[in-house]
Amino acid sequence: MLMAMAAATPTVALAYQEAPALAAQVKAGKLPPLDERLPKNPEVVKPVQSVGTYGGTLRTAVRGDADHNNILKLVGNQGLTRWTMDYAKPIPNLAESWTVNADASEYTFKLRPGLKWSDGVAFSADDILFFVNDLLPNKQFFQSPPSQYVIGGKPMRAEKIDDSTVKIIFTGSYLQFPNVLATPLGQHATLYSKHYCQQFTPANPELAKLLTDSKQPDWATLFRQKCGDIEIPARWANVDRPTMDPWVISTPYTGGATQVVLRRNPYFWQVDTAGNQLPYIDTVNMKVVSDIQTMLLATIGGQFDMLMRHINTINNKPVLAQHAAEAGYVLQELTPTDSSAMALWINETEPDPKLRPLMRNHDFREALSLGIDRNEINDIVYLGQGKPWQVGPLPADKFYNEKLGTQYTQYDVASANKLLDGMGLDKRNAQGMRLLPDGSKLFISIDCMTADAAAIDVADLVKKQWAKIGIDTGINVMERSLYYERAQNNTYDIGTYAVPSGLNPTSDPRAILSTHTLDSRQSLPWVKWYSSGGKAGEEPSESMKQRLAQWDQWKAASNPEQADALFRAILSEAADAFEVIGTVRAVTTYGIHAKNLINVPASMPNGWDYPNPGPTLVQQYYFAK
Amino acid sequence: MGRFIIRRLLGMIPFIFLVSVTVFLLIKLTPGDFVSNYAASLAASGETVDDAMLESMRARYGLDQPVIVQYWDWISGVMQGDFGYSFQWQQPVISLIGERIGLTLVLSVSTLLLTWAVALPIGVYSAVRRYSFGDYFFTMIGFLGLAIPGFLMALILMFVGVSVFHTDVGGLFSPAYVNAPWGWDRVVDLAKHLWVPMVILGTSGAASLIRIMRANLLDQLHQPYVDTARAKGLSEITLLIRYPIRVALNPFVSTLGFVLPQLVSGSVIISIVLNLPTAGPLLLQALLGQDQYLAGAFLLLLCSLTVFGTLLSDILLALLDPRIRYQ
Repeated sequence: MLMAMAAATPTVALAYQEAPALAAQVKAGKLPPLDERLPKNPEVVKPVQSVGTYGGTLRTAVRGDADHNNILKLVGNQGLTRWTMDYAKPIPNLAESWTVNADASEYTFKLRPGLKWSDGVAFSADDILFFVNDLLPNKQFFQSPPSQYVIGGKPMRAEKIDDSTVKIIFTGSYLQFPNVLATPLGQHATLYSKHYCQQFTPANPELAKLLTDSKQPDWATLFRQKCGDIEIPARWANVDRPTMDPWVISTPYTGGATQVVLRRNPYFWQVDTAGNQLPYIDTVNMKVVSDIQTMLLATIGGQFDMLMRHINTINNKPVLAQHAAEAGYVLQELTPTDSSAMALWINETEPDPKLRPLMRNHDFREALSLGIDRNEINDIVYLGQGKPWQVGPLPADKFYNEKLGTQYTQYDVASANKLLDGMGLDKRNAQGMRLLPDGSKLFISIDCMTADAAAIDVADLVKKQWAKIGIDTGINVMERSLYYERAQNNTYDIGTYAVPSGLNPTSDPRAILSTHTLDSRQSLPWVKWYSSGGKAGEEPSESMKQRLAQWDQWKAASNPEQADALFRAILSEAADAFEVIGTVRAVTTYGIHAKNLINVPASMPNGWDYPNPGPTLVQQYYFAK
Repeated sequence: MGRFIIRRLLGMIPFIFLVSVTVFLLIKLTPGDFVSNYAASLAASGETVDDAMLESMRARYGLDQPVIVQYWDWISGVMQGDFGYSFQWQQPVISLIGERIGLTLVLSVSTLLLTWAVALPIGVYSAVRRYSFGDYFFTMIGFLGLAIPGFLMALILMFVGVSVFHTDVGGLFSPAYVNAPWGWDRVVDLAKHLWVPMVILGTSGAASLIRIMRANLLDQLHQPYVDTARAKGLSEITLLIRYPIRVALNPFVSTLGFVLPQLVSGSVIISIVLNLPTAGPLLLQALLGQDQYLAGAFLLLLCSLTVFGTLLSDILLALLDPRIRYQ
């Protein structure tokens, strides 16, 4: 089997145009002419609505701490592949095309010839080799290589065929690789420019001097300070780092920054259908705002042209809608990629020995689920925007499993009571709360994060609803770090969290499989058991062990149909096991963008693997005059 | 006097050492560490990070070492003037703090001066014209200033600014001047923005100072020495300024010790709401993110400022009030 993907390339050479500011620089001799800056056949992007005009500043906001991925989502999403705008499949991006061998273990990427970094130096196969062969296997750089680049315990290798052709080799099949390359975590290979970043590696004889001058402890730290990593703030703190992004940093994101400014990359490698070099917009100006209320206030004051994070909670929607006309923005639909807006993650390895048999009992979880009035939760917490839902892929996804998504979602107090009575929980105290068979109190607590207002609201309602079936519940609201610490130490009964991966469910199956080391809250000891190969943690249930074995087979599968069948088997096994109790299906959220900002798709997925708005190609947005 | 100062300075050394141990232990006592917090903060916005990456970060930052080793690494650097490295920003702590401390000083000192300029005359007026209309008026303003939380006032002022005057929200500079080099225009721009935080920060401080000044002065006004001076024919103004006010100033000076650390930490919430590029928000971020060396440096700085401020106020008191002895 041989698969090939190729972008539609124009057959007729176009005369290319550039932004007036760049034309002036060319005239002044500060910049080479456009034809020398563009690749031989730049990617031709079809604008969402219309061919645009140059100019303007896109004003948006970034928070002062831990919000570096906001910049990544806006500009920094240049992999060898990228998602189609509708998140359906990966298509060529920096690679013009790729081929894969029969067992999906070798991928040959053809780069666009003549691509250039933002400083004008050629981007070639050597840059890919620099990461894959020099950095990835280096123990000082990665203590162990990131799992997305590892198959069968061995990291990928790269072979240079010619300057613009590179072959990536795995020791086994890796069907998901093109998808991984389209996600932010798969984009190391196109992040580091060899000509600039190599000076921070031991390959540079002057390295010792650089280390003393910068007072950095070792080269890997210095390297990350200068060249960044996928998701650390330092990626946006060095104005000298060459990139392949549409805009490059000119005012960096550092601890003291009050604004982050990005300017157009004169070497950007995409043009529109009329031959205009992208991006249309000159400058991106991100104001650093610490407080979300302040950000909201600035938004309704019309001070931002686009914002899709932080302010777009469901309870801010009325106030944002109310001020839309006078502030000159429109609400933008963001379709969820999550599965469940909020779920109760029952701890299968409950620490309390009296509670554990209950938590492990399918009927008990079924009764808890039947005792939840999901319509009430939907009306009160999600303003009626959701639907009763458990977990798993959404109906729009090809892996949709009806049972996994909809079983036990009806509100049925009588059946719940019957189930609970049937398992020996028929004794109650004076308040009508059930007692354990030995006569002691049955009490379950739900952990919530302070920052997660929806989780707290849902837990409040669940507590009231469960009281009607005689289950006494407490709510533990705590700071984020303690919440995660309790999960790691396995000292919680029920965790609360949204369930991701309603679309593309194979990318993050944390609710189906105990694989996520922080958030597979159905049991973190199971995760430890799986990730340590059975040496640590706790042995999972038979059902989970079977699913994990199928997951390993899925990862090694070389045939897409066989892989899909395996994943479907995992989903149906998870439906039978019924570990995570969902409440309401993830609801459509929204962002805002200026009314005169054109070419923004009417609706876009909202996610991390699809780091919106990046994959909708912000470089083809423009301001109507 | 000289011996007194030297003795106090020497006494500070063991004290600051104990403070550094306490500060470090307190930071380490919180659950998790920088790396787990970093992962959790990404996870909380739906982003993921690879486990291998986390482990290598932990090793790189030395977070897998025992606390005592981490403390020694830190404190031995501090003694040589190296305050360590901010994990979050991949930058030396000293440059991060330095970047923000300048504007923090400008804001705090101008607020302090404003507070004193407003509070002293009003306090004196309220005491001298006790139970007059003016006294009641200023007392009411004072109580309002004490009662309204600063952050609420900041939000309301900003809302009025945005909806009525269409001004920028927060910040100390207009967008055009944020990264401009220092010059007269930029100073003017700063002054245009500075008054909002100055008024908000100054309100509650001024309110309490007015009350203190009024009470202190009332104590003095009926002392026999005031009557004597008046009987000898001193004019009311000269009398007031030369005697009772000087005595009433003592509590002002002795609170100076607490004013210095307030420069850094007093305005955290208001700075966050108003989006000011001062030290407070950075300190809060460092604490929440468990960026231990950055947070440690800040807390050490705060404690040293308190100790130093107390010494300073003791010296000033001694100069101001001849009744005070060095023993």
